[in-house]
Amino acid sequence: MIRADNPLAREPRYELIARVLRDNIMRGNLPEGFVLLEGPIATIMQTSRVPVQAALRQLLEERLIHRFEGRGYLVGHGGTTLTPLRRDIRELPLDIPEQVDDALQTRGTWRHVYDRVEEEVATCQIFGEFRIVETELADYLGVSRTVARDVLARLQEKGLIRKSASSHWIAGPLTARTLREKFELSSILEPAALRQAAPRIRYPEVEDLLLRIGTDPSVGSETLSNALMELCIAQATNTSLVELIRANRLLLSAVNRALIALGLPRDEAMIEQYRKLFELIARHPIDSAAEYLREHLAIVTRHYLARMKIVAVIRETGDFAPYLSTL
Amino acid sequence: MNTAPRSDLAAPPRLLQRRLRVLGTSITLLPEVTRAAQADLGFEVATELLSFPDCQRRAAQDPGGYDVYEQCLHNLDIVWFWGALQPIDSQRIAEWDNISDLARQGGISKYAWRGHGDAPVKKLYVQPGGFLGPKPQRMISMLPTVHNMDSFGYDIRVFGGAKERVSWSWLLDRRARGRIALVDEPAIGIFDAALSVEAAGEMEFDDIANMSIAEINRLMSILEERRAQGYFKTIWSDAAEAAALVEGGEVAAQSMWAPVYARTGATHAHFVEADPVEGYRAWHGGASLSRHLRGAELDMAYEYLNWWLSGHAGAVMARQGYYISNLARAKAHLSAEEWGYWYDGAVASRDLLGPSGQIAVKAGARRAGGSYAERARRIAIWNTVMDEYNYVARAWDRFARSLREETAA
Repeated sequence: MIRADNPLAREPRYELIARVLRDNIMRGNLPEGFVLLEGPIATIMQTSRVPVQAALRQLLEERLIHRFEGRGYLVGHGGTTLTPLRRDIRELPLDIPEQVDDALQTRGTWRHVYDRVEEEVATCQIFGEFRIVETELADYLGVSRTVARDVLARLQEKGLIRKSASSHWIAGPLTARTLREKFELSSILEPAALRQAAPRIRYPEVEDLLLRIGTDPSVGSETLSNALMELCIAQATNTSLVELIRANRLLLSAVNRALIALGLPRDEAMIEQYRKLFELIARHPIDSAAEYLREHLAIVTRHYLARMKIVAVIRETGDFAPYLSTL
Repeated sequence: MNTAPRSDLAAPPRLLQRRLRVLGTSITLLPEVTRAAQADLGFEVATELLSFPDCQRRAAQDPGGYDVYEQCLHNLDIVWFWGALQPIDSQRIAEWDNISDLARQGGISKYAWRGHGDAPVKKLYVQPGGFLGPKPQRMISMLPTVHNMDSFGYDIRVFGGAKERVSWSWLLDRRARGRIALVDEPAIGIFDAALSVEAAGEMEFDDIANMSIAEINRLMSILEERRAQGYFKTIWSDAAEAAALVEGGEVAAQSMWAPVYARTGATHAHFVEADPVEGYRAWHGGASLSRHLRGAELDMAYEYLNWWLSGHAGAVMARQGYYISNLARAKAHLSAEEWGYWYDGAVASRDLLGPSGQIAVKAGARRAGGSYAERARRIAIWNTVMDEYNYVARAWDRFARSLREETAA
């Protein structure tokens, strides 16, 4: 699954910290007189102290906090005399929005740029073999070479790139053989995971999806494939199995998106197959669904192989990311 | 300089209200065919002629830009899966029952060897679920029309002096070094090369029509070696280029298409069509309907499709060495001598003319490989868009590019 780029991840860290503290002061989660200390704030925000200092200076300017004789700052503008309230900030019910939290965690590390690179590297492969130049990747992303190297290491770990004999990073080409092998793996793993997941499948959401198929035009084969993964297969108790399936699906779903981006039409026959599959999952013994899933994957394989041939006659658009060079 | 007679220039323009747009390749879009179709059908047939890959790309991505798509069954997958075409109702094809078993069943008889690769029947019928397959259905993907069994051409002064059997291995043979040309089309040229290296014993394919990555790499490296050793004169993209190579005496062996012999056969009798012991590389063309067609436009397209099988087009095609899928109607439009030479494998009892009126066959000649039935029984492989097509097409393209650069330099 590709997470949408988190726009907050591009904001300076101190801004994000200031935002969290400001919101919590406004809501009264941080009461007047509370002693704000850099260390504990850095701990809950999982950052260094430097951005925390900057955030506190900003709040000071905004007169939301003030200095006092002790270490740290007191919440409030400081017009009246307050008894400093010394408690561990971690004991307070602070609101830290998930998006801010996520942005704080990934800002400045390989993670905040990874998803975009993963998508670009996965989809280019249908157009043949590419070399990735580390320095150009770093320039393009505006990150250090260390971060670029971390991104590449992760891509390698996921099997999306490899090192050539001359130590260049290489992506692709995506061959029919790779596709066939990945689908073979899917048809071994996914029915097994589906059986295991049966008691934990999110049935109400499956039923809801069944109502939307055919009536909601936004429900295409990609949505359905993701739903099969998240609502059903990912509910299997064996997390290693689920991770393996996720990794295996990565390139396949990137290919699917790349083909759709080329203008391939919505595949009604495929959508009908998913409808049948979800019906079996929701209303019949899981064995029949697992069996159908296996057949379904055999048909999907043929679809992919046929659609990959299409790419051969498409002119390369030339809008690959600049760090990708054709071999 | 315009040498057209005055009366032609002065002819009032005929304004035809109805117009059918046909997208295709040099295989079928002959002016003689288009003119005859317009005369018989009473509507304008506006043609757009493109190279094979350009034609496929246009057909896939711009179905609104044409009404009928004339191409080959082997690469139909590419366009079909874009949803650019609509199925053809075989019940609206008057001559459907007279179309040859080669197209409808996969071989000219139940016992004939089908050949490797995608026999046209494998892409002919629209199966439940939208796939194309060989199981007969009422709806079809493409109306099979013109087809042929191809080989290569060679100079008899270089080869075949002894009692040696003609073999595909000659196409990349040392004796022709420096004077070899291949056709630049990955679904065709690659098989000419593959048949040749296999015939020469240089490599063996598990399934020649559906090569593995390792086999493709090996084949391309053999071609690359040959290129480095100066085997190739050039690589050609259309019949006119191929004919010029023969006429200029520049090739001793090359990929060939039938119309090239029709252009050069009479004047360059030493360059002949091979009848290789390994068999032929066959292909089957046809016509499909764009998905946007409805009502009167759709009717017009069906009229045109039916016209293709009514005899006249088949006769024009025969005169450049191509076969048509309903033999009987073509026979009615050909002279006995023409039918005898092109379809029956008989010796030409007089000079025979090609589509545009030039002498295509000299009296006394006999078509290599004999009759239609004899040739059709010896299909080694059908042109095929293999599973690794996206890979092989790119590899082929790199080879073709470097060969072009080298020979242009």
